[in-house]
Amino acid sequence: MISLTDFLIVSAALFCIGLYMIVSKHNAIQILIGIELMLNAANLNLVAFGKYDKLNNGGQMFALFAIVLAAATTAVALAIILNVYKKYKTIDPDRIDKLRD
Amino acid sequence: MDNFLQAIDTLTIRFALTAVLLPLLAFVFNFLLPGRKSQLAGWISTVAILFSTVLSISVFAKVWNTNHVVHQQVIWFTIGNTVVYAGVLLNNLSVLMLLLVSVIALPVHIYSTAYMKHDGNLNRYFAYLSLFCFSMLALVVVDNLVLFYAFWELVGFSSYLLIGFWFTRDKAVQANKKAFIMNRIGDIGLLTAVIILFTQFHTFDIDKLFGSGNFVSYSGIHNGIWSLWGNLPNNVGGVWVRGNFVQLPAIWQYIAFGGIFLAVAAKSAQFPLHTWLPDAMEGPTSVSALIHAATMVAAGVFLLARVYPLFNDIELTTLAIVGCFTAFMAASIALTQTDLKRILAYSTISQLGYMVMAMGIGAYTSSLFHLVTHAFFKCLLFLVAGIVIHQMQHIKEDNELDIDPQNINNMGGLRKKLPFTFVVAVIGALALIGLPFTSGYLSKDGILIKSFEWTDGRSGILKVIPVFAIITTWLTAFYVTRLIVKVFFGELRLLNIRAGINLHLSDGNWQYKLPLALLVIGCFFPLFSINPFLYEQAWIFKGLSNAGGLERDNVYHTIVPIGVNILSVLVMYAAYAIYIKRRNNPFPQKGVLFNLSFNAWYFDTVYNKLIVKPVLLLCRSAFWFDRRVVDGFVKLIAKVGIALSKLADWTDRNIIDGFLHLLVAVVKGIGNFARMFQGGKVQYYLFSMLVIILALFILKVVI
Repeated sequence: MISLTDFLIVSAALFCIGLYMIVSKHNAIQILIGIELMLNAANLNLVAFGKYDKLNNGGQMFALFAIVLAAATTAVALAIILNVYKKYKTIDPDRIDKLRD
Repeated sequence: MDNFLQAIDTLTIRFALTAVLLPLLAFVFNFLLPGRKSQLAGWISTVAILFSTVLSISVFAKVWNTNHVVHQQVIWFTIGNTVVYAGVLLNNLSVLMLLLVSVIALPVHIYSTAYMKHDGNLNRYFAYLSLFCFSMLALVVVDNLVLFYAFWELVGFSSYLLIGFWFTRDKAVQANKKAFIMNRIGDIGLLTAVIILFTQFHTFDIDKLFGSGNFVSYSGIHNGIWSLWGNLPNNVGGVWVRGNFVQLPAIWQYIAFGGIFLAVAAKSAQFPLHTWLPDAMEGPTSVSALIHAATMVAAGVFLLARVYPLFNDIELTTLAIVGCFTAFMAASIALTQTDLKRILAYSTISQLGYMVMAMGIGAYTSSLFHLVTHAFFKCLLFLVAGIVIHQMQHIKEDNELDIDPQNINNMGGLRKKLPFTFVVAVIGALALIGLPFTSGYLSKDGILIKSFEWTDGRSGILKVIPVFAIITTWLTAFYVTRLIVKVFFGELRLLNIRAGINLHLSDGNWQYKLPLALLVIGCFFPLFSINPFLYEQAWIFKGLSNAGGLERDNVYHTIVPIGVNILSVLVMYAAYAIYIKRRNNPFPQKGVLFNLSFNAWYFDTVYNKLIVKPVLLLCRSAFWFDRRVVDGFVKLIAKVGIALSKLADWTDRNIIDGFLHLLVAVVKGIGNFARMFQGGKVQYYLFSMLVIILALFILKVVI
């Protein structure tokens, strides 16, 4: 029997991996992937806790919404990355520093 | 009638003022005249003094012996309750002096037009000469002691300018400095006396003090206090004088006398301030003639005559002693001098000594009479000396000789070359000796007789005074004869130095001869008295003496003139015989007496040692003190100031600015530190957020 705790552990691991990727990666796409990982960690939590709401399946529903929204935001993010690449010829966020001073 | 008299007086005053101011006008004109050497200058001054003379004669005729003192004044200035008047006072004394000064100045001016013709600074010369005449003429007519003092100073100043006229010669500069400083000493004395008189009498008015008001004669010394008599007549003094009357200790009366004495000694070259006069010979000879005859040196005697009522018996005796000593001393110096002008200068000092002595022994009128007659013959002799020196200068320049043109040892035999000059010189010399039929006889006679009368009532040492006066007369006879013989008789001694030199000598043109002719008239008796033997009958004597006793009431009137003159003639003959027969230096040129006389009794040496040197030393030490101590102190202050400002600069630069810079650096550091976080790296922000949150969590767990 897979317990709630297992789900939460996986979710936490995912969240941590995503967070690590966001902080450490030098590629905007990889960072985006990290974001998605964290999002999905959250979704996993929603679904895992959904068993306490069997009547409405609120958890699943909310997770679905989140996935859709995530897809939308990913599209937007990718578009931004493309534009950034066009302007800076790189997608390394460390080197995109024109806003600094 | 009063109005009529008033109008006449006003006219007289106007005449006198014009006579005084004309030379001033000439001075201004000559100063403004373009160029430096314009013959016009001489004629401007001469015409001015000519008109002055004419006006003076008319003023003289109006005022002399009318017993009417012309005195008008206007308010000059007011200080508090004291009103000081300025005005003109014409009495017998002032009109006599006015006439004398202008009459003597006129020939000198005419003479100067020729004598100074070749001088490069003719305009300046005549400007100064006019200024000189103006100051002297003004001096004799002012009615007020303050104005008197002012013109007294001006006479001294213009004589300073004239003595130093050839200011490129070092000797002339030294001489005029000496004259000026000596006169300053006298000026201080006069100023002191004026101030004391004002304190005592509350007026500067000469007429009120010594003339019609005659405050002075109502004052006297009682119990050591100098005060007015208790019972003043009603017509003497105003109420204000009595009300404000100050009683001074008696010493002030003597200080006032001392001041006046110093002033007289300085101006009239009396011992101890006489040494400037021989040095003043560095000026042009025509100036010497004017200074010696009627202007400068006469001012001192004139001052004595003005303030005569002030003196008491002790003071008059002092004057007599000093005058007698000066007369004798100067005459003895004149015996051995070799410079033509210096002999005449010492002769002037000697004659001035007579005048001062005469004042001292109460021969007031004789003193002034002698002043007048002396003016004529001394001026004449100086003009003669000018001609002789001029001719000697010509010989020197024509033959390129290295001689002193004023040394009488080089002269001789000039009577044939300069016949006219010779004749007038002899007449002038006889007048100076005081032989009968000359004017000098009349005036000197009065002084000598009076000196014997004066000693009658006195005892002891004062008996010496007439004796020395008479010895001085004989000394005068000797040195004058020596002078005349050495200059005019015998052979020209220059020929001994170098034979066959060119001699172009002449008496000169009318500009030389006319002044001499004018002055020679004044050397004879008729101008002064009908009777050549009785000085009492001279009109000047009658006009100035107010006392009656003109009779020859004692034996002196007969014995003194006869004795003196017989011996004078003998002395003259002796001198003539000595100098004509043995041409050079019949007396040994050594010995104590000769040195004493030749070195002018060592007065200059002593003054140099005792006064000039210490004063110079004092000046030098004062200079050193000023340079080192005062300047040093100022420089020290400056250095301290600089050091302080440098310190302030350093403080400003390092501490104040440093504080600001530190502040700036701190702010900048903080800014940079804060900026460091804004790296523009999104991941870095996220990382830091993560770290902070983790830290918070850890903190929460731990605590």
